Formats: sequence, C-alpha cells, structure tokens
Amino acid sequence: MTDPIKLINVSHYYSQGLPVQVAAVKNINLTIKAGEAVGIIGHTGSGKSTLISHFNGLLKPSEGTVLVDGEDIHKDKETLRRSRFKIGLCFQYPESQLFEETVAKDIAFGPGNMGLSDSEIALRVERAAEFVGLKRELLSKSPFDLSGGEKRRAAIAGVMAMEPEVLVLDEPAAGLDPRGKNEILRMIMNYREQTGSTIVFVSHSMEDIAATAERIIVMNHGEIALEGTVDEVFSHGESLRTMGLNVPEITRIFMMLRQRGIDVPSNIYSVEEGARILRGLAEGRRG
Amino acid sequence: MAEKLIELKNVTYVYEADEEGEPGYAAVKDVSLDIHKGEFAVILGHNGSGKSTLAKLMNAIYEPSEGTVTVKGIPSDSEENGDKIRRIVGMVFQNPDNQIVATIVEDDVAFGPENLGVEPSEIRRRVDEALKTVGMYEHREREPHKLSGGQKQRVAIAGVLAMQTECIILDEPTAMLDPVGREEVINTIRRLNKEMGITVVLITHFMEEAVLADRVIVFDGGRCIAEGTPREIFSQPGFLIDHGLDIPQSAQLSNALGFEECALTPEECVDKITEMMGGAKND
Repeated sequence: MTDPIKLINVSHYYSQGLPVQVAAVKNINLTIKAGEAVGIIGHTGSGKSTLISHFNGLLKPSEGTVLVDGEDIHKDKETLRRSRFKIGLCFQYPESQLFEETVAKDIAFGPGNMGLSDSEIALRVERAAEFVGLKRELLSKSPFDLSGGEKRRAAIAGVMAMEPEVLVLDEPAAGLDPRGKNEILRMIMNYREQTGSTIVFVSHSMEDIAATAERIIVMNHGEIALEGTVDEVFSHGESLRTMGLNVPEITRIFMMLRQRGIDVPSNIYSVEEGARILRGLAEGRRG
Repeated sequence: MAEKLIELKNVTYVYEADEEGEPGYAAVKDVSLDIHKGEFAVILGHNGSGKSTLAKLMNAIYEPSEGTVTVKGIPSDSEENGDKIRRIVGMVFQNPDNQIVATIVEDDVAFGPENLGVEPSEIRRRVDEALKTVGMYEHREREPHKLSGGQKQRVAIAGVLAMQTECIILDEPTAMLDPVGREEVINTIRRLNKEMGITVVLITHFMEEAVLADRVIVFDGGRCIAEGTPREIFSQPGFLIDHGLDIPQSAQLSNALGFEECALTPEECVDKITEMMGGAKND
C-alpha cells in the first residue's frame, strides 16, 4: 500500500538567497502510514507548522520531494489540487478563519470547492457537525455567535467535511479549558475510529500526546530529533528537556519512583494505569 | 490580614447589546473579592467564565457597570484614575506577538516608562534592571520576533516591571508556549512574587500552575464560586470537573490512591508513594 504522505530530503528556507536566509526545516525524511495516529512535538519555532504546511502543498519545499499517495504533489496543478483534498489541514486557532454567514455555510466551504453535488455537501456538513458535536440548531447561526469552544469545533468540522484521507491538526486544543480540550481530543479520536482516517496532530501537551498518539515525531531546530513509539520517545526524558519539551507529569512520577529504587515501570502514561500498578505493588509488599 | 491592594465590591460588568442585535450580557455578576498585597493568586475558570473580564476590571481597562473596584483606595471610575491604576497594576496577555511594539527588545521594554515621561537615564536603569530580573538582559539588542515564545513573554513581563507596577495580572500567559517556555515564565513570575514582593494574579487553564499559588479562586458563570489554598481546591476533583476544570495528574494519582492529603506536585506525590511502600529500598 502506498503511504499517504512521504517527505524525502525536504528542506524549507525562508528568505532564500538573501543573507538572512534561515532553514525552517532541514533534511526531513518522514513517512505517515495509512491509519496511524502521529503526534508532532517540538519547542516553539522548531519548525512544526512549517513541516505540516508541506503535507498538502501549502508550502513548496526549497529542496526535496513531497509525495502524497506516491505522487509528487508539485508535479502539476491538478495533482496539487487533489492533494489539498486528500490532506486536510487545520491550523492553529482555526476559528479566526471562520467567515461565512452561517455555520453550515462555513463547514460547506471546503467540500464546496471539491465540485460535489449539493446533496452530497449537505450530507457531509451534517456528518461533520455530528463528529464535532455541534447541535443542529447551531448550524443556521452566524459563526460569530458561537462560544470559543464551539467556534473551534465548527472550524475543525470544515476540514473534516472534506473527508480527507489524512487529518492534520496544528494544536487543536490550544487555549481551551480542560473540559473543552478533552472534548476536542475525544472527538478527534472518535472521528479516527469511525472513519479509519490517518491523524497527525501537533501539541505542546505531553499528556495529550501520550494519551492519543501511537507514534511521535520530535522536531528540534528544524530537524527531526527523535521519532518512535510513545514508549521510545518518552524514554528519552533528559534529551526532551534539552529540546524544550518534557515527559507527561504521570510518567515523571514513575521515573522518579524508579530512581528511588521502587520497582515500577517508567512507561506509564495514564493515572488509572499508574494507580493500578501502585495498588498491586503495595498489596504485594503487605502480603 | 495583609493590606488590600485591589478591592472589588459587588462588581457587575455588562457587555452592552450591540447595533447588530447582539444581546447584552453580564460577564461578571456581583463579585466581591480582595487581592492582598504580596500574594500570588490564581484564577481558574473555563472559557467564557468571566475571568478575563475580571482581569480587565482589576486594572481599569473596564469600569464596572455596578459596584466598585478600587486599587490602593483609588476607584476605577474615571480615565484619570484608570491611568493611575495602570501604573500600579500591569497586565500581560496570552499572545506574546500582540503585545510587542518595538523592533528591539530593550526598546520594547522602554516603551511603557517612556509613555509615562520618565527621565531617559532612569529609563535606562529600569530597562536594564527589568531585563536582568526576567533573565533576558543578554538578549536586549535582539529582535523580538526572533525570540522563543517563553522569551517573548518574559520581555512582556519586563515591560510591566519597567513601569514599576506593584501588581502584575497575567491572562493565560503560557497558553501558547512549549513546556520549557511555560516553566521559564512561571519561574519568573514566582521569583517576582517571592523575591520582589510583587503581587501576582495569574489566570490560567493549567492546573499544575495553580498549585504554586497562595490562593486559588475558581470562577464560573461570572461569579466566584470557590476559593482556598491549592490543596483545599484540588482535594475536590468532582467539583472542579463539574465546572469544566481538572486537577493535576499528581493530585489525580494521590486521590486515586486514597491519600488523606492530596499531593500537588510530582515530588510530593513520589514522597507519599515511597512512604506508602514502606520507604525506598536504598534508604
């Protein structure tokens, strides 16, 4: 099976050719496989947003090749256009880009560009709204009358309505309160489960990444510094710290317990699992 | 009881109906609250709970629709008083890119005192001192847009310090930062509070930041619905979750393990677990 996204030796320079030229990303080789959930982490300015803007051809690499379903997306205009629909990109604070008169029209904007029939568009709007948990009566409202969390969900629904093979989200939960954040994450995972779509998302929350990603890509100063399963990446706690990152708080607790000589695994990412292990251990010691 | 720095008495703030037919609504309802000199207070609340409106009332960006806000006895009822209040209470916002005005770090920090008409030599002294305090002195000649998010926020904090305010209100200053950037900002805030005695009001969605406060104030529906020490507040997980909030993983774990007193930080949690296990093996 062809991989939905493959980057080969991709570099992107801002102000190319000028003395102030900076490489925003350098020598990136990476493959996103069909159906996987990939988390991207990295300090601010590490190149995460530049990287994902290459996935659907929004940015053209200064060097290297971007393949979508095995095709060079910059081959011609038509391939690029098709790639835009295959790879759905949702930016940071996407609610700032809502602009239509009604929420329904806003969600319909993406699929509307795909040349679909009106009935198909209507169906997709409805489905996407359902995925993000927007109530039907909100669809006829102006997007500007929605609450912050609802606006965020409407914006994400707009990308989901294109039914892309890969849904790419740049910090989908940034700035939301804990409940709003948990709702967004649950909704994304539910979407993945029901559609089988590939998910790539950027986050600054190690806890969220641990809870939702299968594989993690770590960006540092424009390059991929680490890549692997959640266990593999979070076993590099020290290096992550030097890159402006960390391990989840619960994982940190288990790493510290190990340092104290308490025999617990260090790859713990949820409070429930951690509590279960500690209870078992305490009983064993008593018994 | 410490001296009151900011006093809110029965404060209501109503956003008026606009011309496009948007109905008005009260974002803050009948709130009475004091911020004491030298304290580190954290305000928690879900999006739309009224916390940012509260912050803007505290530094006289907004005047209350009903009730009174006074800062060191000055009521926020006129523009003139508002100016006076903003010299006492400074504000740092969420997005560092929206609050940087100059193209060089030190010029940005100097912007506030320049507007106050401070003597140039005094400005120089204040800017240097403020940048040293936030650990950004060596970056003073850099362009702000080339700094990391955490560095930009520290420059914004230096800008407030250079105005020699007694109190800083920070509205979700770490929402856009990576983990280390967040730590840099939080450590800076703590130092200002502990070492310089600056009063801090921190609005945040990060529960692990709230554990550092002297006092946590929980906001919902425009009202103050709970206040207490972090330990008091985080011992009631159900209550916080009902109000759209959460508790740090350390507190979650200690609650799940049934510890009598909830742990607030990973360090505290590890100590309590070690105790539960009958001490560490290599002790």
